[in-house]
Amino acid sequence: MSDSRAYLNMGERKVKVLAIASGGGHWLEMQRLYPAFENLDVAFVSVHPAYAEQVPNHRFYVVRDVTRWDRWGLIVLAAQLIRIIWIERPTTVITTGSAPGLFALAIAKLMRRARTIWIDSIANCEQLSSSGRRARYVADVWLTQWPEVERPEGPAYWGAVL
Amino acid sequence: MIIVTTGTMLPFDRLVRAMDEWVAHHPHEQAFAQIGNGAYEPRHMEWVRFLAPSEFTRQVKRSALIVAHAGTGSFFLAAETCKPLVMLPRLAANGEHTTDHQVHTARWLCDKPGVYIAMTERELPVAIAKARVGDPVASQRTAYAPEEFLQRIRRCLVDPELPPIPGKARKGSR
Repeated sequence: MSDSRAYLNMGERKVKVLAIASGGGHWLEMQRLYPAFENLDVAFVSVHPAYAEQVPNHRFYVVRDVTRWDRWGLIVLAAQLIRIIWIERPTTVITTGSAPGLFALAIAKLMRRARTIWIDSIANCEQLSSSGRRARYVADVWLTQWPEVERPEGPAYWGAVL
Repeated sequence: MIIVTTGTMLPFDRLVRAMDEWVAHHPHEQAFAQIGNGAYEPRHMEWVRFLAPSEFTRQVKRSALIVAHAGTGSFFLAAETCKPLVMLPRLAANGEHTTDHQVHTARWLCDKPGVYIAMTERELPVAIAKARVGDPVASQRTAYAPEEFLQRIRRCLVDPELPPIPGKARKGSR
């Protein structure tokens, strides 16, 4: 059905979403946002090829699973994301956190001037994650899922996936 | 059967080893472990490094109990399958994760019905015993985020003008 999707326009540009989440909880949190993507052109990015089965009818890309400890992995990840963003040309990038999400937001901002949405994982219930703190510089919409973590200068709290 | 999972991103040998020893001391119990890229290979339980989500969920449905790291993915899984959940948080001091957020997650989830927290591996046997006779994790009402949150995210995706964000006034919108 996805091929008959009605394309919505954002200003002059057709909305193209890149939704990126690493494994486990990050990916499940993204699944819980699925209704927000209805009728939109969305490509998903995650870290395990087997996750493709959960987003049928969408383009799906795999990137390397890295932590910030893994310098060489971060270089590989950046190259993979540059390629994906070059192919996909997203107008909007949304992530539920982690290092791959932070890199994707930064690269899409630089390459495409994309709108960027950071949703810090619900796991970070007492303080923002380290990627989440850095995301303030690249995220147009910078969110925590905990009212206790919200600050007047950001991140904002709009609700949670649970 | 008991399902043991460390998540698939970082090794968590402390949990796998503790559960392997636990099974060794409970020969009538069966366990199945997803150990990711851990170095310790269990000798007393079946194990794999990674299972696809659909296959893993199928295994969990056949089990009586989940023993996991304190990752939110495991909580979502327990809620989806209505199983009791024992959690052992990873510690940054042991190099088990980049930060101590799993300790925070454990503190958040410890009051939820069906969640049994072991703060150290020594507390695992007691947590398992409690989970054996206790409630399962309550199922979530829906598979999706609350409607209001979905609508706000949706608006960000499709609106030419961004809604106002604290600390980002005007800066974010084109």
